[in-house]
Amino acid sequence: MAYPSMGEAHRRVTDYLGRFSDAVSTQDVASLKPLLSLSSASPSLLSLADALNLLQDAIRLIKQSEKWSQLAEIVAPLFRCLQSYRLSNLADAYPAYEKAANAFIQEFRNWDSAWALEALYVIAYEIRVLAERADRELSANGKLPEKLKAAGSFLMKVFGVLAGKGPKRVGALYMTCQLFKIYFKLGTVHLCRSVIRSIETARIFDFEEFPQRDKVTYMYYTGRLEVYNENFTAAEQKLSYALAHCNPHSEANIRMILKYLIPVKLSIGILPKDWLLEKYNLVEYRNIVLALKRGDLRLLRSALEEHEDRFLRSGVYLVLEKLELQVYQRLLKKIYIIQKQKDPSKAHQMKLEVIIKALKWLEIDMDLDEVECIVAILIHKNLVKGYFAHKSKVVVLSKQDPFPKLTGRPVNA
Amino acid sequence: MAAEPKAAAEDAKNDLFEDDDEFEEFEINEEWDAQEEVTEAPQQWEDDWDDDDVSDDFSLQLRRELENAAKS
Repeated sequence: MAYPSMGEAHRRVTDYLGRFSDAVSTQDVASLKPLLSLSSASPSLLSLADALNLLQDAIRLIKQSEKWSQLAEIVAPLFRCLQSYRLSNLADAYPAYEKAANAFIQEFRNWDSAWALEALYVIAYEIRVLAERADRELSANGKLPEKLKAAGSFLMKVFGVLAGKGPKRVGALYMTCQLFKIYFKLGTVHLCRSVIRSIETARIFDFEEFPQRDKVTYMYYTGRLEVYNENFTAAEQKLSYALAHCNPHSEANIRMILKYLIPVKLSIGILPKDWLLEKYNLVEYRNIVLALKRGDLRLLRSALEEHEDRFLRSGVYLVLEKLELQVYQRLLKKIYIIQKQKDPSKAHQMKLEVIIKALKWLEIDMDLDEVECIVAILIHKNLVKGYFAHKSKVVVLSKQDPFPKLTGRPVNA
Repeated sequence: MAAEPKAAAEDAKNDLFEDDDEFEEFEINEEWDAQEEVTEAPQQWEDDWDDDDVSDDFSLQLRRELENAAKS
């Protein structure tokens, strides 16, 4: 850290103040944004921070000077933030930035037009990532990490400022997405509900008016929530929207969408093509797809076991485990077709013994009661059409369409 | 004994920062021609896989197994 001379330090401070003031008075958001973008760690911000740490009384100077007094409420805490940030004291940098952000919002409310909306986006982003870093620092020092939670509260407030009539309201979805990222990170996803309700039911919002990039992000997160809540039809709609409208060059994001969309599609009987798994490196689903196509229960179970940790972490394990019933259906269907080819007149009667033998071949040991139970469940969920001739231990299959396809609807609850 | 609280704290720290799948930020004003790509792209999904074809290896092995079982 090479400190500048006093004169140079002074120049840097007044330079920044001048740029800030000019940006505001000419409503030039493109010039304002870099002045707020801490995480960019731009050379000019870093050298400003050095200057501030040297001068130490810059803040007093601002407040005393007539010229900068209007912006003092915003810039003074911002300077304090820069100083702490430069000295790697993030736990102090965060509250200072929040104070600056709060003062900025007060001014923002008074500006009629939405000229500064992009600057507000920068602030929202900085609030979130600064809070994350501050919490990591606090944790590392054995202290309680509470800055990200505070960031969540702050951004809710910003959301409230944007949730009104007028051009500023198109910024509300960006705020929502920053909030989603915070809540998902903290594991407090239930807090998403109130902001979702605002976006989806408040009269002032028209979803179509929001910027495309925010709609994609929004559908990704709300789609994930639908997966957690096992609302597969809604999950498919939302994640499919995100996929269809995502920037085709954002491979990482497309991969994330598919990671959640694929289990949903599988559970409604739709399979991803292998090139999709290959292209986006989702090969953990390959054997699951194969197991469904074959009716290979052993393969499904081994695939689940092989990638258990990964599936558990993303919360899709249970969704995939439930595919067992569809695999059973496919297996029984294959047995039926094979028997039909041999003896068409008897094919619609399937002995439980035969199913047991097929499962044994797949190294799955089940007794008569257990197989009877599975078949009963399959019939109940309309994956098999037929009934039990209990005494003779035979499943009598319907002559018409004994293995109804899911055709895009989830298995009956 | 001293090792335990530390391990628990490690866990708590890891739990704090959940979500491996945080969506990457799009650039402000990032626009793209999604529609173009969609019409040119090859098909991503198949829903007609549940056919009556039993000529694959798995099905042939299954058939053999059922025939052997029938004999015994």
